[in-house]
Amino acid sequence: MNMKRLLSMIFMSLFLIPALLFATGTKEQAKDSAGDGIITLSVYHFLDQTDKTTAPNFQYLVDVFEKANPNIKLSFEYGYGEAFHDKLQTMAMSGQLPDIVLLYPGERTSQVTNAGLVQDLRPYLSGHEDEFADMAMQGQGKNGEIWELPEDISITSIMFTNNRLLKELGLTLPKTYEELLAQGPAIRAAGLIPISIANKDAWPMQSCVAGMLVERACGLEWFDKAIAGEARFDDPEFVYAMQIIKDLTDKQMLSPGTNQLTYGQGLDDFVQEKAVYFIDGGWTVNNMVGELSAEQKTYMSLESFPDIPNQKGQSLSTSATAGQGFGMNAKLSKAESDAAWKWIWFYSGPEGSAIRQRFGRLPAYNLAEPKDADPMIQKLVAYAGKVPMGYVMDSVLAAEPIGTFNINLQNMMFGTKTPKQVAQELEAMVAAIGR
Amino acid sequence: MRKRLTLASVLSSMLMITFTLLTIIPLTWMILSAFKPHAMIVRTPLAFPMSWYVDNFILSWTQGHLGIYFINSTIYSFVATFLTVFFALSSGYALSKFSYKSSRVISMVYTLGLLITVHSVIVPLFIMETKLGISNTRIGVILPYIAFGLPFQVFLATTYIKGIPDAMQESAIIDGATFFQVFFKILIPVATPIISTMFIYTFLGNWNEFILVLTLTSDLSVRSLPVGINSFAGGMSRDYGLQFAALVIGTVPMILFYLVFKDKIAQGFAAGALKE
Amino acid sequence: MTFSQQKRMSYYAFLAPGLLLFASIIIFPVAYSLTLSFTSFGGYGTPKFIGLANYAKIISDEVFLHSLRNNLLIVAISVFGQIPLGFLLAYLLHRKMVRNGNFYQTMIFLPITISPVVVALLWNQIFSSSGMVVAIIRRLTGENQYVMRIFEDKQLAIVPILFVLLWMHTGTYMIIFYANLQKMTPSLLEAAQIDGASESQMMMRIILPSMVGTIATTAIFAISGSLKAFDLIYAMTGGGPAHYTEVIAIYMYINTFKYYKYGFGSAASMIIVLLAVGLILLLQYISRKFERRFE
Repeated sequence: MNMKRLLSMIFMSLFLIPALLFATGTKEQAKDSAGDGIITLSVYHFLDQTDKTTAPNFQYLVDVFEKANPNIKLSFEYGYGEAFHDKLQTMAMSGQLPDIVLLYPGERTSQVTNAGLVQDLRPYLSGHEDEFADMAMQGQGKNGEIWELPEDISITSIMFTNNRLLKELGLTLPKTYEELLAQGPAIRAAGLIPISIANKDAWPMQSCVAGMLVERACGLEWFDKAIAGEARFDDPEFVYAMQIIKDLTDKQMLSPGTNQLTYGQGLDDFVQEKAVYFIDGGWTVNNMVGELSAEQKTYMSLESFPDIPNQKGQSLSTSATAGQGFGMNAKLSKAESDAAWKWIWFYSGPEGSAIRQRFGRLPAYNLAEPKDADPMIQKLVAYAGKVPMGYVMDSVLAAEPIGTFNINLQNMMFGTKTPKQVAQELEAMVAAIGR
Repeated sequence: MRKRLTLASVLSSMLMITFTLLTIIPLTWMILSAFKPHAMIVRTPLAFPMSWYVDNFILSWTQGHLGIYFINSTIYSFVATFLTVFFALSSGYALSKFSYKSSRVISMVYTLGLLITVHSVIVPLFIMETKLGISNTRIGVILPYIAFGLPFQVFLATTYIKGIPDAMQESAIIDGATFFQVFFKILIPVATPIISTMFIYTFLGNWNEFILVLTLTSDLSVRSLPVGINSFAGGMSRDYGLQFAALVIGTVPMILFYLVFKDKIAQGFAAGALKE
Repeated sequence: MTFSQQKRMSYYAFLAPGLLLFASIIIFPVAYSLTLSFTSFGGYGTPKFIGLANYAKIISDEVFLHSLRNNLLIVAISVFGQIPLGFLLAYLLHRKMVRNGNFYQTMIFLPITISPVVVALLWNQIFSSSGMVVAIIRRLTGENQYVMRIFEDKQLAIVPILFVLLWMHTGTYMIIFYANLQKMTPSLLEAAQIDGASESQMMMRIILPSMVGTIATTAIFAISGSLKAFDLIYAMTGGGPAHYTEVIAIYMYINTFKYYKYGFGSAASMIIVLLAVGLILLLQYISRKFERRFE
């Protein structure tokens, strides 16, 4: 008897101790504990610390900022890939969001923004709205809040073209989709890949191809309606866009085994001139700056996917979205918020943008064209200035429908789902979640 | 007898050789590739390195902060393993030699622990640790390592200690020794073979653990080797040379560790660890 | 303090540190996620109780069923592949049917020392289109666009993963069996040999019966390990392409951490536990029957 009571008491306390821990609130840490006027802010950033290009570039920006602001100390934590999002989510759920955090404009980080964990940046930004691309100033919250100040404009669909190979094969840049398809046999006969794209991770086909094709096949007006719920994703126009991806696959226009190639192998094949075309986002220019030789840079050009038959959208359009950027924790004090804003404004505002432009990015902040930049960067800026832009699907739809859609595109390429089924399932999921 | 078994022994040699090649070839390929620059790995994946390109190692060691990760991995593995084995032994002693009714229930609870994936506890665990203020500290990593190591180790310890004759401890108790004296002076020396097996298994598991340390820590200074290796390999980092070098750095110490202690593993199991 | 009090106190003292850690770090969070599994909790706000709806939805989800099938295949490859192979290898080594047994033993066990993440990357590199296997085939056939189509087949995509799992874990079972074989009294086998028993008779009549307990125990570890398999598969394929190689742990992970469906994800992880308990009970039932037959 005695033992039983003791045992049950032990068990009770085992359960109670952690329960109490959950129940108690978290102490706010004092940021200026030393009283020396230095504000320390924690920053959570998406960065591959081993990347030979982006990591040193980012460090350079931090160094410039810290030199100019000796009273602000930034302490960084980096996450990368899926791990970044897992950790962010865990931090958000436990109320341990860092002071400054990298967020995405669309649904990807909505668990942070929707929960009211970050501040609306509009009061800080007011007066500067015109200095940014319009796309970057679109409201991100239900009431038009700006949760993060976009650093870049992401053009997600560029058809990089190797003009040397084209010439060698006696081909010219295709004006129409049919012309592109007609080039397939000649390119393959030469032992080359027509269009290099690596889709193992399932997002590239959606982000770099589908959004662009939807704008072409359906037009921007339809796209707006579909997002608002006035048009349906199983409309024939949308199915037609899916059909084009299916055709590209069936006619062997894409990298062989594209669905088993990890992202990056697409670029590898292009840099090694095993592929004539390469579809990817504008962010890859960053890598091309370092990886293409000076000679290669003279004959690699940035193009749009050719126009498709019965096109309703704009000619040679691409898909683009305002990119990620830093937001700040809603719990910050006035002084901390001001310090955090200094960093955000430095990073996405004129100073940081100018630096990042030189590194090969496409800042959302309006800048003059860079005269002394790398040729590939100049090409990217020129490309961005001339093409019409539609939406990127994952920036306008929620995480779960997009996740399923990405996978369904793979299913469709394997022939286990038809374009029509893919469209219907997307419509069903979007409708179920509520637009 | 030898004659009669010729066919069998040829077949069995072939089986052994197949398994051996399956181990040696990938590992050799990994080590050789680590000495090749990225471009060579992609163009000629099968070729022998033309020269011993050690920059991969230097770069991945410095860029990936593998030095500090290495130290942390060592600390986590040793401390957590030592404590896991110790707690498992004491639990095993209590569960196998005290014959209280609650022992059965507690053993079952531990067995259920074998079935729990790290992911299903990671969010509540993180919340708990942040409230306690031990997230992002070494303690915050070591405690969950112990907890996740316990179920299997308690099982090993219990079955082993069950096999030790009762007479040994009973006579000591009659002579006036306390249970603690019995545990430290009699049990632990007798259990040496199983202790080394438990130690090696737990150590290997802790050395390779990734998800807990990734989620529960954020400072570079408290993270461990798998996190460093994964940052080369997990994402879009496309330098295969660096990737292979990081893999070699993460793998070779454990292979050496195993080669040194391998006889102990066999001994431990031979001592009856996994026999009902 | 009486003797029995002293004994009881010692009992608790021995158990306390382990149990305290285990309860607060594993049992409590599991209880927490069991509770969440009956809600539609999405990361913020108050969880809404929805009864068994999550479970119902999971069981009727095609992706879950394919994941379950993959998990069962992994259980099968461990129980009917790794364990018998491990036993066979151990037996061959024990009966000294090969020379250099020590060397082989070392080599076969070696993969277990390597982290699953590293194993995955290594084999991915080997199978990838820029990897070793494809390079060899391309050279042999002269077909420079060759890729392995097995990864794109809904039914077969899991096979390369099963192969890697077999490679990774057979060594563990071999060591366990080898150790237990060495523990057997050699006189028994010698006596049988003198009586003219053949190799296969000795195996069936003497060795196997004495190993039933060990086999059952290893099978428990094989089952529990197989059902929570995550690291290797996630690092190799992430469950893709098109969910073909997904397992329940990945299904749970994607729903929890990518789609923010905590309640749903918790229900999936509870299903893993339920399945494992079910399979292990079944196994214990079977092994008890066997033990009785051999007695």
